[in-house]
Amino acid sequence: MYWALARLSFQRQLAYRTANVAGLVTNLFFGALRAYVLIALFGAREAVAGYDVRAAVTYTGITQAMLSFLAAFGWWEIIRSVRTGQVATDLSRPVDFFWYHAAQDFGRALAQLLLRGLPLIALYALAYRIAVPPTPLHWLALPLSLALGLLISFAWRFLVNLTAFWTVDAMGIGRVASNLVLFLSGFIMPLAFFPDWAQAGLRFLPFASMVNAPVEVYLGVVQGPALVLTLLLQALWAVVLVLLSRVVLAAGVRRLVVQGG
Amino acid sequence: MNTLRLYSVLLGARLRSQMQYRGSFLLDLLGTMLGTLTYFLALAAVISRFGGIGGWTLWEVAFLYGLAETSFGLMDLVWGGYDYDFFSPRIRSGEFDQMLLRPLPLPLQILTSEFALRRLGRIAQGLAIFALSAHLSGVDWTAAKLLYLPVVIASSMAFFAALYVVGSTVCFWTIERLEVFNLLTYGGAEMLSYPMHIYHPWLTRFFTFVVPAAIQVYYPALYFLGKPDLTGMPGFMSFLAPFTGFGCLALSFAFWRFGVRHYQSTGT
Repeated sequence: MYWALARLSFQRQLAYRTANVAGLVTNLFFGALRAYVLIALFGAREAVAGYDVRAAVTYTGITQAMLSFLAAFGWWEIIRSVRTGQVATDLSRPVDFFWYHAAQDFGRALAQLLLRGLPLIALYALAYRIAVPPTPLHWLALPLSLALGLLISFAWRFLVNLTAFWTVDAMGIGRVASNLVLFLSGFIMPLAFFPDWAQAGLRFLPFASMVNAPVEVYLGVVQGPALVLTLLLQALWAVVLVLLSRVVLAAGVRRLVVQGG
Repeated sequence: MNTLRLYSVLLGARLRSQMQYRGSFLLDLLGTMLGTLTYFLALAAVISRFGGIGGWTLWEVAFLYGLAETSFGLMDLVWGGYDYDFFSPRIRSGEFDQMLLRPLPLPLQILTSEFALRRLGRIAQGLAIFALSAHLSGVDWTAAKLLYLPVVIASSMAFFAALYVVGSTVCFWTIERLEVFNLLTYGGAEMLSYPMHIYHPWLTRFFTFVVPAAIQVYYPALYFLGKPDLTGMPGFMSFLAPFTGFGCLALSFAFWRFGVRHYQSTGT
């Protein structure tokens, strides 16, 4: 059932070819822009905070490749369905509301990873000398870390969307939330380059687990015990946010008023 | 004069409707402010950790950023109607056809069709950062510089407006907005936040001679800050901004008129 939902959602993404090409060009441009900035920042330095220039340039590529995978600019399915009244139908389906949306989002995300993520990394590999995961262990940890990042990101977006059950301003809240995520997750700049006091807090927030963690797993910035801790923290946030989503959903359903038509 | 009165009447109606939901408005204001402010905070955090970028200090970079943000934000407030994101749906829905029928100047209708006060959030953060940087980057403010500053801002607004007008005109043929224009507008604005010499020379040349974004912000900023030019351009480049800015706007309107003459409705 959920598998079928995911597959349909995956296939829907394949239909938008020109949009995907245009999106790819945009990702490449913004990625290259940030790569120039990081190269200039490094100047003659060899390494900063465990990153060399090559790792920093790769960072810009991977974050851009993950943008559409995580729907980082916003995902408003539930807000829209509350506005149109569709949510009433969705809630009365004999499937779990959370996993109904999650399955579709995972299908969408996988399509975006294949259509936009991988081609972008390939183009990056042509333009720059990019880094690859240093050990087989990192190769194995990467898909796990990406999947956990996606689950955390989905649960977070789900929670933000649920505000629509309480307020008509959910869209405004959503915009504020997705801007915060872009900043706090390491999308704009690697968290490792933030001041130490800021990093200490940011690394433990769920946002770092969405983006910064998978990228640092890819780059091999985290090794040995640090790698295990990174994955454990991601798993912890995934469990916490999924449980929280369910609690808030249950409260929201009791509160929801669907306007007719 | 009559046009000006109409503009203020239509605009007044827009503004009043936006102030009806004060809570939503404040939230939107906060959202637009955070969207750009967080970008600057990330930039500031990283630049201060590395101690500058390409020979520029944090506050010199902030000067570029503030100048670009303020100009783009002000333009976006006034010219929002020509934002292709809003304009292309108007073509698709047939709303543009209605505009053509009304006995009012077309640009007047389009300019007043979208005037989102929440953009003040972006302008406020741009201005605040600009004011801070104008002080902290140690600019030696002479009378000439103070006189030139509003000219530079107005010219940059004209230049960004031209991008919107071209982006919307293209929609006459494509119906859908072209995402590629985001590279020039949002991408251009982000690119302008850093000294141009850090980019590949071809990128700098493209954004100087083809799409003269650098002439609007970067080269004038060199004059204000008294920084040497590392891109190898003559000194008068700092003073071309009004010519390229308003020149681009005039050209874009010529293209717009051409587009309107050749417009075919979608039939909806």
